[in-house]
Amino acid sequence: MPDALGKVDHSSLKVNQGTIIVLLLVSFVANVPWLTAAVAVVMVAGTMAGRPGFFFIYSWLLRPAGIVKPNVLADNPEPHRFAQGFGGVVAAISALSTLLGAAVFGWSLAWLVIVLAALNLFVGFCAGCAVYYWLHRLQVPGFSKNPPTGFFPGMRPRT
Amino acid sequence: MRRDAKKRGVGGVMLLQTVVRLIAAAGIIGFSVTAFALVKMVVLARARRSSAGFSAFRRGVPGIVYFTTPDCVTCKAAQRPALRALVKQLDRNVQVIEVDATDRPDLARQWSVLSVPTTFILDRDGKPRQVNHGFASAAKLLSQLQRVS
Repeated sequence: MPDALGKVDHSSLKVNQGTIIVLLLVSFVANVPWLTAAVAVVMVAGTMAGRPGFFFIYSWLLRPAGIVKPNVLADNPEPHRFAQGFGGVVAAISALSTLLGAAVFGWSLAWLVIVLAALNLFVGFCAGCAVYYWLHRLQVPGFSKNPPTGFFPGMRPRT
Repeated sequence: MRRDAKKRGVGGVMLLQTVVRLIAAAGIIGFSVTAFALVKMVVLARARRSSAGFSAFRRGVPGIVYFTTPDCVTCKAAQRPALRALVKQLDRNVQVIEVDATDRPDLARQWSVLSVPTTFILDRDGKPRQVNHGFASAAKLLSQLQRVS
């Protein structure tokens, strides 16, 4: 029997992904690993709070201004939280590596986060969610949700 | 004076580094976009190889292969009405082949369908020319059909 799905506002996820991409790009171009570290902190804090790290940009600015409209879909919030947390940890390792002198490795990790966030934003495929569902199939404790019926694990569900 | 020259030198190096990083970023983004376009081309090429499998296809009339599932809400609420409107508008100048992905997982796999609704635009010879992952409006489908007609 399929799991009862929760509600996920995919607009807030998209704003979060867009912000992460822009900030990490600025961080790379300007060679400021501290900005990567700050992004990592916001992502991890957001995961712990159970919402997108840059949710405030969406809820305080873009949604009230009518620039971005809510897009609430029947979906599991847990895989998205896992994906963000995983991305946050990778961003943190990236910042740490760059600050400790392993610049090529560090910036490669930052680019990994950028590419995966872009894949989610532009294509609708959440790689972190796919990993979550894969771990669920392997019956790893803590990964309890099935992907929405009829969708490839990690692909964004439709209305 | 020497300090000013040194400052200018450091500033120049930093500017050069920023420009190099900007070019690198543009290169990586360009590469990723190209890779994505290639993946889309591969999806269409794979679909082209299996497109001969539709016996219902009438040669000489462009068509749409529409992948759906019984519990796809968007398919019922948006994609099917859009296709109906299109068929009504174009009458016999378009054909729609509906595929239930749960019934035909083999076709869904061959056509690289990862989510529903997914629509493929077929030219008059039945070759897939465009792919839409997710809902495609009647206007979008019409413009894609006009391009292959």
